[in-house]
Amino acid sequence: MRRTRPQCGLSLFLALSLTWPGALLAASAASAGDQHLITLKASAMPSGQLAYEMVSHKVKSSTGKESDLTERYASGPTIPGPTLVMKEGDAAEVTLQHGIDDAQLPVSIHVHGVHYKIDSDGTMKLLNGVADEAAFPGRPYTYKWTAAPGTAGTWAYHDHAFGNPMLGAEDKGLFGTLIVNPASGKVPALIDGKVVDVDLADIKREFILWMHETTFWGQELNHIIEGGKEIPLWTNPTVGARLGEKVRFHVIGIGTAFHTFHLHAHRWIEAGTVGGAVDTVNVGPISRTSFVVKAGEGVGPGDWHYHCHVIQHMQSGMMGDFKVVE
Amino acid sequence: MNHTSFLALALVAFPLTNAANAVERAKSEDVIISRPGVLPSAVLEMTDEPGKWFKDPKSGGSLVVIKPGQAVLIKMTDTNTDHTITSLLWQPGAANFPVDQEKPSNASVTQTFDKPGLYVFTCKVHPYMLGAVVVDDPKTEGLDIGSEIQLVTGAKVPTTSDIAKKLLRTFFVGTTPALWRDYRTPNWEVKLPDLPINLAGSVLKLSVLNFSEPNALLQPQTPGVGEVWVDTQFEGVSGKTKHGTATQIDASNWTIKQKVKGVEQNMNNPHNMWTDATYKYIYQTEWFDKRLTTFDRTSGKVYNTQVVGQNPSHAMSNPLNGMLYVAINGEDRVLKLSPGEFPTALGNINTGPHTGPHGHHITDDGKYMITPNALASSVTIVDLASEQATEIPTGGVIPIAAWSDMDHKAYVANLLGTPPKMLSSLTVIDIDGKKKIKDIDLAENYDPISGEHKGEAYGLGPIQTPVSPDGKYVVSANFLSTTITILDTKTDKVVKSLPCEPGCHGVNFGLKKGGGYYAYVASKFANDLLVFDMDKLDIAGRILLVDPKDGQITGNYGMGGQGVLPLPLADAGMLAPTLKLVGTGKLSPEVEGWLTLVTQQQRGN
Repeated sequence: MRRTRPQCGLSLFLALSLTWPGALLAASAASAGDQHLITLKASAMPSGQLAYEMVSHKVKSSTGKESDLTERYASGPTIPGPTLVMKEGDAAEVTLQHGIDDAQLPVSIHVHGVHYKIDSDGTMKLLNGVADEAAFPGRPYTYKWTAAPGTAGTWAYHDHAFGNPMLGAEDKGLFGTLIVNPASGKVPALIDGKVVDVDLADIKREFILWMHETTFWGQELNHIIEGGKEIPLWTNPTVGARLGEKVRFHVIGIGTAFHTFHLHAHRWIEAGTVGGAVDTVNVGPISRTSFVVKAGEGVGPGDWHYHCHVIQHMQSGMMGDFKVVE
Repeated sequence: MNHTSFLALALVAFPLTNAANAVERAKSEDVIISRPGVLPSAVLEMTDEPGKWFKDPKSGGSLVVIKPGQAVLIKMTDTNTDHTITSLLWQPGAANFPVDQEKPSNASVTQTFDKPGLYVFTCKVHPYMLGAVVVDDPKTEGLDIGSEIQLVTGAKVPTTSDIAKKLLRTFFVGTTPALWRDYRTPNWEVKLPDLPINLAGSVLKLSVLNFSEPNALLQPQTPGVGEVWVDTQFEGVSGKTKHGTATQIDASNWTIKQKVKGVEQNMNNPHNMWTDATYKYIYQTEWFDKRLTTFDRTSGKVYNTQVVGQNPSHAMSNPLNGMLYVAINGEDRVLKLSPGEFPTALGNINTGPHTGPHGHHITDDGKYMITPNALASSVTIVDLASEQATEIPTGGVIPIAAWSDMDHKAYVANLLGTPPKMLSSLTVIDIDGKKKIKDIDLAENYDPISGEHKGEAYGLGPIQTPVSPDGKYVVSANFLSTTITILDTKTDKVVKSLPCEPGCHGVNFGLKKGGGYYAYVASKFANDLLVFDMDKLDIAGRILLVDPKDGQITGNYGMGGQGVLPLPLADAGMLAPTLKLVGTGKLSPEVEGWLTLVTQQQRGN
């Protein structure tokens, strides 16, 4: 942790009357969804890796209430990039700024999962036949996304332009997560041996784990802190929860390697599997698994290991702890 | 992660007034149970780009400077093939060292460094890929190099020693294309910045490693027979993202005939070549890739490019039946293919677990193949009729090339010596007996501390070590001492050492017109081909590998000399299948012409 954050008092948090995800759930009752106005920037990390950072995230709800979520995010670029949370029915305008010093090459956001028109594909004209849909220095680009019904899920967004107009620079760190929560506000989960619908408002911690080559890059979305907080956890972190808390994992692959994500002593449900319960899931590039577990269910507290189960990846340290405390 | 960084995280998450700090911090630690992992402070990204094999995305160079306690992410997301991340040298006593990935893959490493000083990483498959980390204590003057370095060979040497200086110089020259020896200029100037470096308290300038040597090309007096192919593996080619060409030199007048660039897309780091009995085809390995390319020897037209495996290194045929054997350096096998325009894979010979065979050799009677196993301290002997393989431990570090003589005695180059005593060595193998005979100390007369070498045995870091076709000598190209050493096979003693070029690498023999042999030596970080007269045991020429007429070459002109293939093949046993085709109409008039120049002695009679 070597970055600093602009000092802003606790009062600012308190001034924001948001609760999260409560606000979203409340709004979900309305016919039209929330409008998100998001500005992201692509920047270089001190290490030379590239990453996205949050500049501003404002939301106008269907009732006309405006709120500013910017303080939820970590300051500065992070790997993975800021996790954007929408719900089915929401729409977003996402503006990308080019902040990579000494680079003239365009950088973009290509998003998965949600609906968008061809001019929001985040690719170069070479691929989309329409336009170079990327930010250049001093020339941001705006994408329009619709989290239409049926798009609920955990999705990747990543660059599709920088350095190579066919591929982009996702391998350098330009990737992040978009979570589209279902309009119902509930997700099915295996809790106390039964598949039940869990209210998203009851989930206090979410863990984002990206599997890149032989490294996990982590992030926590903490909903206990007022207004919510995204906390960068960097490489192969410890993710932690209290015994009995319902926590949601989002595990996403990127790069070229194929992985098998395994979490010790916990099971979850995966659609299409016999019997439903799994404790290991295949994760390939940009494929993902998202699931809720009750921390320590039936097994109690402990440092429960999580890792890629590909032997060579384990040998390279692709692992961390799920710390469950009393 | 350490406690301080967690505290920092908590403070980031909760900007607080001083008064509220203590209480709120307790709360925050309660709320956030997660603990961040390491955030790398620097990155070295492994690439196929010559000189930039471990590339810092910020500077484009191969060296990063961090503070004690910080971490570096080494990753392989910009290369077409598998590698290992392996410590070449490190600080004695450093925590979590050495780093060594057992087998090639695309796995990354996040390494935290606690002890100030110099650390160098390499790849066991491509051991000239070099990347350095300097862990610099900001409280001391100059960049901390440390008082000693621990070498992967087991030796621990002071940083003021000659061997340490050689390694440093090799690192800077190898990773800086601007410092490569360009024979188009009058002098080779190695100029490093006046950067202060701290060797255990004594502060020097990096520029103490500077030197200058005049560049002089030399036309050999006596022509050779036929032609010489050299893989100029680092040349940039217009419109391609990967480097490398194969340069064809006319040995009758020492001019360049053409540079073959391979397929339209890329010919990625062409490393070593072989041919068929008619000399119609050139089989070209792409060492930083997975492919074997077959092209026409005369026109350069590509017939076929096929995926053969990770890091195909060397190719060689069996003179008995023409079958082609390609060493799959990033795996544990040699692939057997049918010869011709479209070589067809016929099967694999397993060389043993985690072996990574590099520069294999086939005996000139076609009975045996010997593979030096770069990733294991061993060689494997394969009976080519039964394909039975026997692995023999040798104790050498990175056995990289092997060559057998007519009596089935093989010399194996150990790139980094044989611990604990030999900094530089050749292992001698009895192929029939399937056993190691002995190790030869190639640097017996060299003092690694003072740098003095009283005597001829001064060869550090042997790469290719072929036996001359008459069986009299072994010629070694030694990268670290930048010397060529000549070993008398009767006594197995080094009888001569001569200066080579930076990155001295590939050696092979060709026919000298009128009788006798030339040894051709190619060097990675120079753009000349050295011609060595085996009768006079002296340098006969230096041929420029740059073709000024070729407008498609965009950089690293003539650089990256590695595999050398003189035609006709000089070993009598390898030449025999081609001689048999004389007058059958299967050979081109050009090849027929070459063969008329082959003397009785060169025919092995």
